[in-house]
Amino acid sequence: MKCKHFIALFVCLFFFVMPCEAKIYLDVYGKSFKKVTIAIPDFKSQSDEKTNVDMNELLNKDLDASGFFVVAPHTLFDRELTDEGIEKNEIKFGNWRSLGVEILCKGKVQGKNGDIIFEGFVYDTLDGTLLLAKRYTTKYVEWRKIVHRFADDIIYALTGEKGIMSSRIIFVSGGRYTKEIYTADIDGYNVKKITNYRSITILPSISPNGKYLAYTSYREGKPNLFIIDLEKNIESYTERGEGMKFGTSWRGNTLLYSHTAGKYSTIYALDIEKRNKKVLISREGIFASPCFSPDGARIVLVSDMHGGPQIFINDLSAGTIKRLTYSGNYNASPTFSPKGDLIAFVCSVEGAFEICTMNVDGSNQRVLTSGSMNDSPQFSPCGRYIIYTSQKGGKHTINLMLINGENKRTLKFTEGSEEQPKFIP
Amino acid sequence: MKQALTFLIVIFFGSFLLFYGCAPKVIQPEQASTPTSKSKIQSEDDRAREAAIMEEELAKKQERERLLQEAMKSSLFQDILFDYDSYIIKTDDFPKLNDITNWLKKHKDIKIVVEGHCDERGTIEYNLALGQKRAEAVKDYLGRFGIEEKRIKTISYGKEIPVDPGHTEEAWAKNRRAHFRIE
Repeated sequence: MKCKHFIALFVCLFFFVMPCEAKIYLDVYGKSFKKVTIAIPDFKSQSDEKTNVDMNELLNKDLDASGFFVVAPHTLFDRELTDEGIEKNEIKFGNWRSLGVEILCKGKVQGKNGDIIFEGFVYDTLDGTLLLAKRYTTKYVEWRKIVHRFADDIIYALTGEKGIMSSRIIFVSGGRYTKEIYTADIDGYNVKKITNYRSITILPSISPNGKYLAYTSYREGKPNLFIIDLEKNIESYTERGEGMKFGTSWRGNTLLYSHTAGKYSTIYALDIEKRNKKVLISREGIFASPCFSPDGARIVLVSDMHGGPQIFINDLSAGTIKRLTYSGNYNASPTFSPKGDLIAFVCSVEGAFEICTMNVDGSNQRVLTSGSMNDSPQFSPCGRYIIYTSQKGGKHTINLMLINGENKRTLKFTEGSEEQPKFIP
Repeated sequence: MKQALTFLIVIFFGSFLLFYGCAPKVIQPEQASTPTSKSKIQSEDDRAREAAIMEEELAKKQERERLLQEAMKSSLFQDILFDYDSYIIKTDDFPKLNDITNWLKKHKDIKIVVEGHCDERGTIEYNLALGQKRAEAVKDYLGRFGIEEKRIKTISYGKEIPVDPGHTEEAWAKNRRAHFRIE
């Protein structure tokens, strides 16, 4: 799925200058960090089209949304700074420094035979070091992709890890009785409707290689679990047993799902390629929302075995189940970070439902949202963001924040209520 | 009011079909006297038989409908309400469930679906499991008093279909429910 979008995009690296040991400008794993001030003056353009202005605006927006930058407003730049060239020897870094700008980003846009060529340069204003120089070519209509790619490359150059601006999101949209699955670019463009059953279809999750999509749908009159092979576009597996079934996390080709029926809840690990189903837990009461640790050795899940919903961790080789949450009467929907160092979950605080994180031993719990109904936290593949649902009134919106709770943004894809977001791997 | 209207429509439609079924029988002897239309008679006969079958089916349906109407009217199949985050049936609801048990014992051909629902608070995932447990709790109760397991289906809707879309304690109380429907 992901590949399709990048095939059209030819990234041509003509020189990429970085010191042998990359200087990390931003350490985003600390409690809080200082944002870097970046300036992106108007891009140079040889055509009359306004695309260069749109591209500049979008890059400003992307870098601002990333949460790592203070983006200097264009009103700060005088004529001399705006008209300045893009080559190192044409730039007066002292002038930029005097405005407080630490990183300077320059660009040039050209159109050619329906293609668009963009050259981007990123300088450290302290000594004029060229941190990044890249040329991107794609079809003219897909200029947004270039900007997101460039934004991600800037973030990579400055933080040591790629940004999320080129990501696609899978989510659920709709109202009472009809909910369908959609995918879209994180900026809200290229929305695609994946299901069209005019029924309640929920809880989508995609396998890490992008090949399989699991969801639960009421389209046959009761909640059944479906796994779709997205490459062959066929139903690869269906679980139609009595009761409630829903998948929550993948590791390789293995889907973890819960099945609640009768007195029991069962957690299954289903290897879709080997057609092998393994029972991990089967006990009385509720056991749901299982999520693998990245190494596959443990799963976190929610259970009511001690009363209300609390989060437990199950060591698969030892077979032990340990309770992680003790504060409050409602802790649910746990999910592991990609590095395996954090668990995000939903907790109830004074009647509201908040997105929280904790260490994998249950220590260091932090509440990241305040005062509404939040649900469905999921980490970005880089582990620096959490995407989640927030409900105000009857409407759900999809939101994004850094893992320290800063830089919250509402994302909008369709006209309707939107929920249950996940990054497409 | 709406239910009464549906009932009237069913009666009206039923009686219409009843008359429709009778009509060919009256015409038949007349047509039989004309030898040219033998095949036509055959088809008229078929139609009469078909109509008779339809009549019968309709009568069954009507009887069923009447039973359900009666059951609904007597508020037999009222929702069973639950406390927040709980799937324990309250003792106050035992008589209600006993009535349902007795009714189901009387009408042995009827199968029911118990839907489990939750209020909007909490996570979508946990509520889907909780709704299942609420439906199972009701099924378990009916089962203990002799209703065969195969006559009761359970479906959880989690918090997907609130009966009251409000965001107040009052609305939430109504939404935490086990709802009955005839399969």
